Amino acid sequence: MTSAMNEPRPAGVLIGQGLDRLDGPLKVTGAAPYPSDFDLPGMAYASLVRSTIASGRISRIDRGPAEAAPGVLAVVTHENAPKLGRGPKTILGAAPPPPLRDDRILHHGQFVAVVVAETAEQAAEAARLVQPEYDAADPVLDLADPRAKVRDDPWHVDMRRGNLDAGLAAADVTFQATYTTPENTNNPLGLFATVAAWEGDTLTVHDSTQWPYNTRGALARSFGVPERGVRVLAPFVGGGFGSGLRAWPHVILAALAARIIERPVKLVLTRPQMFTAVGHRPNTVQNVRLGATRDGRLLAIEHTSDSPVAMEDDNLEPITLGTSTAYACPNLITRDRQIRLNVPCPGSMRAPGEAQGNFALESALDELSYDLGMDPVRLRLVNESTVHPQTGLPWSSRAMRECYLQGAERFGWSLRSPEPRSMRDGDWLVGYGMAGASFLHYQAKCQARASIDRDGTAYVRSAGTDIGTGTYTVMTQLAAETLGLRTDRVRLGLGDTDLPMAPQAGGSGLTGALGGAVHAACVRLVHDFLRLVRNDPESPLRGCDLEDITLHDGRIQRTDDPTRGETYAGILARHGLEELTADGDSSPPRGDMIALVGSMVTSRLGRFGRAAVRATRAVAPAGACGAKFVEVRVDPDLGLLRVTRIVSVIDGGRILNEKTARSQITGAVVGGIGMAMFEETITDAGTGRIANATFGDYLIAVNADIPEMDVHFVGEPDPANPIGTKGVGEIGLVGIAPAIANAVYHATGRRVRSLPITIDRLL
Amino acid sequence: MMRAFEYVRATDTARAVEMVTADPNTSYLAGGTTQLDLMKDGVLAPERLVDITHLPLRGVTGGRGALRVGALTTMEELAADTTVVERIPFVRDALLLGASTQLRNMATIAGNLLQRTRCRYFRDPAVAACNKRERGSGCAAMTGTARMHAILGTSPHCIALHASDVAVPLVALDAILRVQGRDGARGVPLTRFYLTPGDTPDVENLLRHGELITAVEIPLPALGTRSGYLKVRDRVSYEFALTSAAAALLIEDGIIVEARVGLGGVGTVPWRAREAEEILIGAPATMEVFRQSAERALEGARTISGTAFKVELAKRTLVRILRTVSGVVA
Amino acid sequence: MTGAAARPPRAAAPYEVDLALRVNGITRRLRVDTRVTLLDALRDVLGMTGTKKGCDQGACGACTVLLDGRRVVSCLVLAAACEGRDVTTIEGLAHDDGTPHPVQQAFIRHDGFQCGYCTPGQIMSAVSLLAEGRGGSDAEIREFMSGNLCRCGAYPNIVAAIREVAKAGDDDAGV
Repeated sequence: MTSAMNEPRPAGVLIGQGLDRLDGPLKVTGAAPYPSDFDLPGMAYASLVRSTIASGRISRIDRGPAEAAPGVLAVVTHENAPKLGRGPKTILGAAPPPPLRDDRILHHGQFVAVVVAETAEQAAEAARLVQPEYDAADPVLDLADPRAKVRDDPWHVDMRRGNLDAGLAAADVTFQATYTTPENTNNPLGLFATVAAWEGDTLTVHDSTQWPYNTRGALARSFGVPERGVRVLAPFVGGGFGSGLRAWPHVILAALAARIIERPVKLVLTRPQMFTAVGHRPNTVQNVRLGATRDGRLLAIEHTSDSPVAMEDDNLEPITLGTSTAYACPNLITRDRQIRLNVPCPGSMRAPGEAQGNFALESALDELSYDLGMDPVRLRLVNESTVHPQTGLPWSSRAMRECYLQGAERFGWSLRSPEPRSMRDGDWLVGYGMAGASFLHYQAKCQARASIDRDGTAYVRSAGTDIGTGTYTVMTQLAAETLGLRTDRVRLGLGDTDLPMAPQAGGSGLTGALGGAVHAACVRLVHDFLRLVRNDPESPLRGCDLEDITLHDGRIQRTDDPTRGETYAGILARHGLEELTADGDSSPPRGDMIALVGSMVTSRLGRFGRAAVRATRAVAPAGACGAKFVEVRVDPDLGLLRVTRIVSVIDGGRILNEKTARSQITGAVVGGIGMAMFEETITDAGTGRIANATFGDYLIAVNADIPEMDVHFVGEPDPANPIGTKGVGEIGLVGIAPAIANAVYHATGRRVRSLPITIDRLL
Repeated sequence: MMRAFEYVRATDTARAVEMVTADPNTSYLAGGTTQLDLMKDGVLAPERLVDITHLPLRGVTGGRGALRVGALTTMEELAADTTVVERIPFVRDALLLGASTQLRNMATIAGNLLQRTRCRYFRDPAVAACNKRERGSGCAAMTGTARMHAILGTSPHCIALHASDVAVPLVALDAILRVQGRDGARGVPLTRFYLTPGDTPDVENLLRHGELITAVEIPLPALGTRSGYLKVRDRVSYEFALTSAAAALLIEDGIIVEARVGLGGVGTVPWRAREAEEILIGAPATMEVFRQSAERALEGARTISGTAFKVELAKRTLVRILRTVSGVVA
Repeated sequence: MTGAAARPPRAAAPYEVDLALRVNGITRRLRVDTRVTLLDALRDVLGMTGTKKGCDQGACGACTVLLDGRRVVSCLVLAAACEGRDVTTIEGLAHDDGTPHPVQQAFIRHDGFQCGYCTPGQIMSAVSLLAEGRGGSDAEIREFMSGNLCRCGAYPNIVAAIREVAKAGDDDAGV
């Protein structure tokens, strides 16, 4: 990399600008192809049968009636299914158990059969004719059920520093409370769909995935075929919010159906199936203990959590880990337990773990602020840490202080009268609330490829997906910037495993990872052009290196004399080349591993560990952080709660595109409002059935619930990432629920420690 | 997903009635927003649908102190009717608060009044125990945790809620259904039309199989009557009511001369709160009187754990709409 | 009441109907299973996949189209019931010269979508809202767009896009 190419460009440059979404024209005309939009010649349709018990065995399952139904091509149950392999482990844990492996039922809604027919209507009707009989067992459904198996410290990230008891003993003020959050369901609008087609052992799949490479690996293992023969395509996905991070059983079943009937098969989940088949945010029961000095300095934090996981399945979701790095506090314990239940498997949902953990911590801090008689913003400023609190390493960058101060300013926090129930507007009580938010840094290895061809246009590609985050747009901007091309001269390819390997669109990690790889590929490509002309007597660029040139509108020119240069197209033509291609890759920063391992070392070795980690002189890569300020109105008579203003100030590092980044934050705030006020997946006690698995019964925010929003970015490019980003996918949601709960307390004097804050909880 | 069925388009009302009456497995299809939804869920499985949307049963006409609303008039059309807007604005409000614009463009007024409960135990055939789907099978909702159940008019066999909004002001106004059967036409007061579940939750109204609602007659209240509809729910829009209240008051010299009150979100049927009306009529329009009437209206409430809050909420909802309509300062 | 649970499983032969309807001004003739909804007919029979299925229960608005000029959720309309009727979908919104509809343009300018899946339904609803004369204030736009769910949370940008077209009073904003 060169200084000339790394320096921020003067006004009028591409990066950071609020360029309109480049896939916009496709999306507003209905032309963007989502997985369920693909139709293949000879395609049949699959429909799934779900168990109606949560635990036990299938005693009898008769395929006959369905097989005899019009148009039916195959009925597959555990009795006639081939043995399928289990997908590879990922960072999120073990792959889901293979479908149809035996007669056991582990949760309500488990897929027990797949029916394939000529039309979707015939498949759905025949699926209803499969009516298994069961030997039902008493399911384990409750976190408090004594029969439930408990996994202590399931991810080995429980943290400890200092001496909690000593910290609490030394505190002037202590506080303790229990907080609960319910199950939420991701519910992307796009029903998850898989279209699978085999040719011999070669498989092509259109799938609603956030991670095509993972789906490819899972399909290859499931069917025992080589990965290189499996192609997974997901150029457009109708949202995911985490539910597309695993290769769920329905994906495998669609491919299985296609293999059996030797024809392409389309499977589209129903909305009720979206509640049991593609993960959800797990519910939590959390306990927070705090100790502080009279002037608000935290001396002790203890944060523990119980949350469920499915039988024989896995989910990486540390609830309390974020607390260990949220504030400066010498004495701390965070502890997670996972409880095995007969429930559909939880999985990542926008800001997994942090959404729930932050609700408890930031609610508790608000409660502490009242006990201390201290302004909640000031309490957080007092405890803001300039270093990574667990290791003592300096943050790579963290403009949290600015987030608080600018947020308070933009919101008009100073107009708040501190006393609860002291602000009113007619029938409405008015409340102000705020919360701090951070999201752990995450980055994974990524590759990209960039080409420029004879007409001087670039093609940049990688297997990563754009699930609505703006990846097509920001990567085009980044590539155009790096190559010195107009954005309309750059074409971007995404969502295809025939393209270079990319990690998941998740964990707020894709932009940094893919951006690093795209940047590296583009820099190498320019370098390769220079190498081509290094000894070329006809080239004005002969002998130039990266630091000697600048790029402008498809032309490489000498920085010392911009009149001397030539175009990419000209170089290719003279050398008789159709195109030039270069690969690039990116890896997590070294400090990431040090901060993670260092946290655990510190946790176990205390002061000595901390000294050892500090000796590495690394910096701790910081994820995004921010501050949220909310105004609510509550009609105390009717229990009505309305959010009327929200200010989000975010340090997301370098913002590649103002417009799409702002949309990311806005959208996540909407998700946070849903989490705070509406969303609760209800499981029937006794049966384990989801009781509200429709959009009529599971409420997400609608347009009328959402006020105007103020989103403001602060901070600087983060040095831990080659392109300076931090990722802004989750940070917008974190902190919204506690800020609303805190505002509700300020408005009404009523503390709600269980989400969602519905009318019945405010009467 | 739906069972296979035959589709027939009706062009003549009498023939349509004849066709449906003759076959227990034939049903009418109008706006389709309930019928198709329940067919997809597998709760309804007719073998033949008779599409009546082309019958001449659409439009609003004025009469002597009453509106005659063709059964196929859509919610959106009725909400836009000038007489409705001017004389019975709470009907308009209930219509607009009752569904999205898309659904209001589809759903007919008669279909709205015939809509089936939103009870998720009724709507999910994976649940075996539902007396409304199959008499004697039990009621899974009783032990469930959901909030969306009735607290008035319930029985030990069913607590399913009637979720219509517009039915609430219409029962308050003593609307009358015009019904055509094979053997002739009859009028049925809406307040008597709906049946509380009792021992037969599967029998929801007085309509015999094949009978067709052809019109809804809405008597207009006296000039000077003021009305309002308040719907209480968590979301600002597009949600069924937790509680709602419709009130029409004629107040002269501070005394309530006429009162019509309906409650929604609480009843197994759209709830006419006659006990509340008795308190109100002849009494001064004061907060104290409003509270008394609300207490009386909810006296018969029976709750499960998930619906316990609704008793108090329903009272406050009624008090609030009475206050708003009367203009009394709290 | 026809209780499905009361009857033993049966597999009936499908019924089919022939029909002709106008989709975006062009008469289309098709033969469909009576169970096929307008939504599925558009997507699976006519190959017009711009209209999306988000719930198939009339609760999300992703399948919104105009039927005889009024917005409806096409997942709760039987194709068989559309004989002779006029359907306008997202594919039919652009002007004859290919220029996108003003609402489509405004959605791009204001970033009124993210994943884009609910977008065709949002746009059809917005076009209809303007025709209904309900773009007068932000509160009105929010209320009358609330039948269209957006899980990405693009609501404020959707409101901004519609507000802009409403204020412009664009003569081209009809269908």
